[in-house]
Amino acid sequence: MNDGIINISLTQLLLALLFILVAQITSFVYKLGLNRDITIGTLRTVSQLFLMGYALTFIFKAENLWLTLGIFLVMVFSAIFIVKGRVKEKEVPYMLPTFLTMVSSYFLTAYFVSIAIVGVSPWWEPRYFIPTAGMVIGNSMSALSICIERLFSQMRQQRDVIEMKLCLGANYKEASGEIFRNAVSAGMIPSINAMMGVGLVFLPGMMSGQILAGTDPLIAIRYQIVVMFMLVGSTAMSAIIVMNIVRRRCFGSGEELLLTPR
Amino acid sequence: MPNLLELRDVTFAYDGSTSGKPFLLDRLNLGVQKGDFIVIRGASGSGKSTILRLICRLHSPQSGSILFRGEPVGSIKPSILRASISYVAQIPVMVEGTVADNLLLPFSFDSNSARPAPDVARLESMLALFYLQDISLSQPAQKLSVGQKQRLALMRTLLLGPEILLLDEPTSALDKESAVMVFSIIERLNAEEEKTVITVTHSDYSPSVPHPKSFMLRNHKLEQV
Repeated sequence: MNDGIINISLTQLLLALLFILVAQITSFVYKLGLNRDITIGTLRTVSQLFLMGYALTFIFKAENLWLTLGIFLVMVFSAIFIVKGRVKEKEVPYMLPTFLTMVSSYFLTAYFVSIAIVGVSPWWEPRYFIPTAGMVIGNSMSALSICIERLFSQMRQQRDVIEMKLCLGANYKEASGEIFRNAVSAGMIPSINAMMGVGLVFLPGMMSGQILAGTDPLIAIRYQIVVMFMLVGSTAMSAIIVMNIVRRRCFGSGEELLLTPR
Repeated sequence: MPNLLELRDVTFAYDGSTSGKPFLLDRLNLGVQKGDFIVIRGASGSGKSTILRLICRLHSPQSGSILFRGEPVGSIKPSILRASISYVAQIPVMVEGTVADNLLLPFSFDSNSARPAPDVARLESMLALFYLQDISLSQPAQKLSVGQKQRLALMRTLLLGPEILLLDEPTSALDKESAVMVFSIIERLNAEEEKTVITVTHSDYSPSVPHPKSFMLRNHKLEQV
C-alpha cells in the first residue's frame, strides 16, 4: 500500500481522454450538437489548469501578499464576466455593485477562514488563501447568477402585480418582496442541498482531492465541513447585499419600476 | 378655486430622449378641481394611459411639472402619493388568496398602517354596493370573472379613501353589463362623495354626471371638447 501521493504521468493523463471520447461519441450518435463544446471545454480545462498549476507553483514560492491579492482580484474579475454572460440584462446597471460586493464579501470570508478557523500565518498564505477564495468565488458566482437572473425575469413577468401593489401604497420593497425572497432562495438552495447530500450522496472535490493526496480522512472532513459552511455563509452574504442593491436599481426615484416588458 | 391637481407643460417620451422622434406628450396642460369628472379620449397608443401613469409617478416626465395640492408630486413620498391618487389598471390584478386577502392587501403596507382595516361587515356591505353580493369573502379571487375582478380592484382601491381616482380604460375588458355596473359605481362615487375621477377611454362613453369635462388627446396635446 502506498501512503504517499501517486503521480499521474502524461501517458496516464492522456488515458483520461477516454472519458471525453465517450462523451463525444454519445453526442455524435444522438446528434446532441455538443461535440464542439466538448472539444473546447476539454482544451480549456487542460490549458487553464496547467496555466493555473504553473502560476500557483510560482505564487506559492514567491509568498508575496500583493501577488496573492492580485490573483484574487483576477479570479473575481473573471467571475463577474461569467455572471454577465449568464444574466442578459441591459436596462439596469448591476455589474459594478455586484463586482464590489463580490470582492469585499469573498475577501472577508476567505480572510476569516484563514485567520480564525484554519489559523494560518500570515493570513494571506497563498496555499490556503487562494484555494479558499477560489471555492467561495466559484460557488457564489453561480448562486449570484441564479439570483440576479431570477430577480430580473420575475420582475418583468410580474410587472403588473408590482405596479398594482405600488398603486395601493406599497413601497418598492413591499411591492417586490415575494420576488426578492424567491430569487435569493433559488440562489441559495444548491448550497443548502449540497449540505444535505454531502458524505452520503457524494464526496466533495476538495475532500476527495485531499484524501487522494494522502491526507487523513478525519482531517479532510474537518476542512470540508468548514468549506460547506463557508460556502453557504458567503453565498447568503453576497446574495443579500447584491440583491438589495440591484433591486433598488430596478426602481426609479419615484419607486417606479424601470424594467420594461420584453 | 385652486386646482387639486395640475399638469404644467408636461413632456414625455418612452425612450426618454430627444433623438429626433416626436414626444408622446408635448407640453401638455391640465387643471383638475376637486369633484371633477374628467374623461380623456384619444386613439389607441396616443398616450392616454401614460398621462395617468405620470400623475401617480409610474413614469417621470422629461420636463414640466405635476402638482398635487400645489406641491410637486416628486416631493411627495411615492407610497403616500399613490394612496391619495390611486390608479386602477386596465386589466385587474389579483394576488393568490381569497377575496378578503385581496381587499385587505393594501392594509399590510407600511404607509397604510395608520388606516384602520375594514371589518367583515363593512367589506360585505361594500361588496353589495359593487354588485358583488353573490361572491363570498372566502372564495379564491383568481377564479372570479374579469368583470368581477375589475369591480373588486376598484373596491380595493376605494377602501384606502383616495382623493383622486385614475381609471385606465376601466371597462375595456368587460362585457356591456359589467361595463354599465362599473361606470354607475364611479358616477355614484363622484356624485355622492365628490370623488375626483379621471378616466381614459377610447369608447364613446359619456358620463351621467352633472358637469363632466371631456378632453381629446390629439397631436400630443389635450384639447377640451
